[in-house]
Amino acid sequence: MGKAARWCAGALGVVLTLSGCSGGGTGAGGVGSGGKGGKVELSYAAWDNNQKKVLEQLGREFTGTHPNVTVKVQLTPWTEYFNKLKTSVTGGSAPDVFWMNGPYFRLYASNGVIRPLDKEVAEDKVDLSVYPKALIDLYTYEGELYGLPKDMDTIGVWYNKALFDARGVDHPAPDWTWSDFNRTAAELTDPGKGVYGVAAQLTSFQEYQYNTIAQAGGYVISPDGKKSGYDQPETIKGLEFWTDLIEKKHSPDLQTMTDTSPLQLFEAGKLAMYWGGSWNAGEFSANEYTKDKVDVAPLPRGEKRATVIHGVANVVSATTEHPREAWEFVEFLGSERAALAIGRSGPLPARDGTRQAWVKDHPRFALTTFLDAVDYAVPFPVSENTAAWNEAELTHLTQAWTGERTVGEASAELARAMNDLLARE
Amino acid sequence: MTSTDGQESGPRRAGSAPASGGTRPGGRRPRRDRVSEALWGYAFIAPAGLGLAVFHLWPVLQTGYFSFTQWGVFGGHTWTGLDNYHRLLTDPEVARSLVNTLAYTALGLVGIPLAIVFAALLNREGLRGTGVYRTLFFLPVVTMPVAVAMVWRWLYNGEYGLVNHVLALVGIDGPHWIADPDTALFALAAVGVWSGLGYNLIIFLAGIQAIPKEFYDAAAIDGAGPVRQFFRITLPLLSPTAFFVSVISVIGSLQLFDLVYVLAGSGLTGRANPAFPRIQTVVQLFYDRAFLTDDRGYAAAIVMMLLVIIVALTALQFRMQKRWVHYG
Amino acid sequence: MAEVGRAYEGGRARSRRRSHVGVHAILIPASLVMIAPFLWQIVTSLKTLSSATRVPPSLLPEGRWDNYGRMFDLLPFSDQFLNTALMAAGRTAGQILLCPLAAYAFARLRFPGRSVLFGLFLSVLMVPPQLFVLPQYEITASLGWLNSVQALIVPGMFSAFGVFLLRQFFLGLPRELEEAARLDGAGPLRTYWYVMLPLARPGVIAMSVLALLWSWNDLFWPLVVNTDPEKMTLSAGLAALQGQFQTDYPVLMAGSLLASLPVIAAFALLQRQFIQGIAHTGVKG
Repeated sequence: MGKAARWCAGALGVVLTLSGCSGGGTGAGGVGSGGKGGKVELSYAAWDNNQKKVLEQLGREFTGTHPNVTVKVQLTPWTEYFNKLKTSVTGGSAPDVFWMNGPYFRLYASNGVIRPLDKEVAEDKVDLSVYPKALIDLYTYEGELYGLPKDMDTIGVWYNKALFDARGVDHPAPDWTWSDFNRTAAELTDPGKGVYGVAAQLTSFQEYQYNTIAQAGGYVISPDGKKSGYDQPETIKGLEFWTDLIEKKHSPDLQTMTDTSPLQLFEAGKLAMYWGGSWNAGEFSANEYTKDKVDVAPLPRGEKRATVIHGVANVVSATTEHPREAWEFVEFLGSERAALAIGRSGPLPARDGTRQAWVKDHPRFALTTFLDAVDYAVPFPVSENTAAWNEAELTHLTQAWTGERTVGEASAELARAMNDLLARE
Repeated sequence: MTSTDGQESGPRRAGSAPASGGTRPGGRRPRRDRVSEALWGYAFIAPAGLGLAVFHLWPVLQTGYFSFTQWGVFGGHTWTGLDNYHRLLTDPEVARSLVNTLAYTALGLVGIPLAIVFAALLNREGLRGTGVYRTLFFLPVVTMPVAVAMVWRWLYNGEYGLVNHVLALVGIDGPHWIADPDTALFALAAVGVWSGLGYNLIIFLAGIQAIPKEFYDAAAIDGAGPVRQFFRITLPLLSPTAFFVSVISVIGSLQLFDLVYVLAGSGLTGRANPAFPRIQTVVQLFYDRAFLTDDRGYAAAIVMMLLVIIVALTALQFRMQKRWVHYG
Repeated sequence: MAEVGRAYEGGRARSRRRSHVGVHAILIPASLVMIAPFLWQIVTSLKTLSSATRVPPSLLPEGRWDNYGRMFDLLPFSDQFLNTALMAAGRTAGQILLCPLAAYAFARLRFPGRSVLFGLFLSVLMVPPQLFVLPQYEITASLGWLNSVQALIVPGMFSAFGVFLLRQFFLGLPRELEEAARLDGAGPLRTYWYVMLPLARPGVIAMSVLALLWSWNDLFWPLVVNTDPEKMTLSAGLAALQGQFQTDYPVLMAGSLLASLPVIAAFALLQRQFIQGIAHTGVKG
């Protein structure tokens, strides 16, 4: 698209927004196509390859109702996503609409690089009560809402039925406990075949440590977001749950997990259990090996039941040249129709009334597990600069995972480092 | 400098041309010629020169300036004086990435004697299959470093890697090469040597072939065998080439990035590698600070430090060369 | 360095038919070490993850060609392929146009400040490229070039190395032809274009081959400047893919093979030029 055309379209968008032309949502379609022939291309950045096709499909559907708008999906692999996003925001080439997650949200909102959406939500009378409150809260900063939840996730234990059956081990019971889990992991570990009960993954706190910390009665960050919980004895217990498994060799050690990631081990039949999210449903039903060998069970109970809840939201860049179109696209992505389509590609949709359909779309797995987990879910720990202490978590806990230091020592030091970082926010 | 400068030597050389006459009046020609030649000279270097000035020289100065500033997460910077340099001195990550980089550089020099030996072997008269050998040695040089690193990451895999499978045949239980703090740096250096061997080999081969045959013939008459010929003739006469290769190799090793980025992991995933503190390099730290944590000013200070080290080590090599380099 | 190739033939022709068993005994295992990683890469790229992780491993591939197809799902592989090719071609073309011109001026034309300017060119050669990255990024961003092909090409079109290499080459050429052209009344541009540049062809080819190789394989700059997957190069795309937990080793092996294949093919075709190009860089000067 020519620069001039883009500019015209942008200017047009601004005029329409200023004149209060609230097209009445996705149906209006008139925005921008009003004679000037201004073509608008919205860039939409995401990280999950499994959803690429459905996002592109939704983009085409959006063009159906907004003939002047095309949507270009930019997929960046997860590990690079936020790094690239930050670079492009800094360089002034931010995508118009993009996926946002909890850990990074406040950084983006507090720096004013994403747009508050309250005005549009009010104008278009968007019903926010269809989304879990925890997720609306997650994407609210200083009283303003910046994103519409797209999907949500809770955590469960994916397990390889074939390995369970081969060793004659009972499948997990819905009300199992930490000690049941540990016993099962021990029974499934088979050094001769290179099979482990579970992998105590270090790099994925959302699926691992945050859950067991909550189950042990600990916390990562105090509710006011000012203090680290890593020096609490309960939190340390939640971490030791994992290091004990490594020590007993029911989990591969950190070096092994560095060479081959737990997900790869699970998909190669070398892991009996894999703590994963609801988003894994898409991957596991597509993967040739896992599709008829795995199922999912709830997380085991520690001192209490707990799972971390988190969700991705669609947000709009503060510098987009097409704020109106971008918002309407976000609104469309939040619609029931879009939520159902997204649900079929893997993740659990955030919108009420679309989740049962998601469960039915993946009949192979006991996916109600993830819906039931919402009842005892705890919020995902974030602060204004979450990324800073996420790096500290890895730096310090790596030493506990290798056994170089005790969990108590490493965790206490992590608490100090994290408190320093929180004080600077 | 002055000897090659046009002004002084110009008239003398220009004098050789004009005598042969032409259409223009003789008296003014040399001067006009000189001016016109100079203008052409500037015109010729201008395109490349301007490009280099804009994209290379100016950026160096700017990076120097950046190293005295602090940056916000989404751009904008303020002058902070020497703060970044103070931080450099006390940052344990800087210290260890420096140590790792220097160790890697030293290990990389092992590639030079290896390349000389293979070049000498390949240069044996009447050896069959030299073309095939040369191609095989050269293959890693043309392969994309990212691809090379990926392949080695798989080869080095502790459970399923080919390296450990082969070791298992002789009863050795191999480590997790790139995740074990004790082996990671060596494993990395081995890949560096492996992938650079072909490059050095070709340069040494050219150097060996520039040695006059008579030297060897004379030595053969004196009864020297191939091994003695190698030490008496090849090695000393190859020393200028070896010097060149070692300068290039040191500069290259000090900038190691691609291999570590892929082989050992980047970003947060890289930090969960237990061997990370032993393989982190200066340029990788620069990348992390510049593009992951957006500490651009600090990143600039890190590369300024790298520049100083490169210049210092190169100067040191030039001073040391008198001790071992023989210029025929 | 045409001599590199020729010397071989000569050596072989007057071979005294010595046996080289000892030499082969060293070279054969060594070349096995050089080639084995590539063979293992090919074998793995044709397996499933479960069979690639079998212990002890099977040495035979399994015909899982779909691993190659999956690369196209995971990455905009064709786009990245095109970007990489455009980057390599653009940078190389730029260097062919600009480097010999400047190199010739430094070698043969006299003008005030020549040494100082050449010194400046050389100093660029000494500076690690990471020093350019931050400001180059700012320049690229201010031009609005982030995520574009020109961002990949333009900063790489100017090579101090190319100028240095070719200056050495021009210095080694005989002056007679040039003088003759001048006597015929040819100006510097004509002399350069019709006489000297053709003579410098081997040098220019050597430089181009290296420029092609290095830009195809470049990682740092493309990684930083083009963040839109459709505008990335193969190196950057592959590097990003590697970090994904989902991507299994057989697929990575297939992808890395596909990405390096063009240069390996170019090498097979232009082996002599590649080797001469490298040999040239070793000419002391």
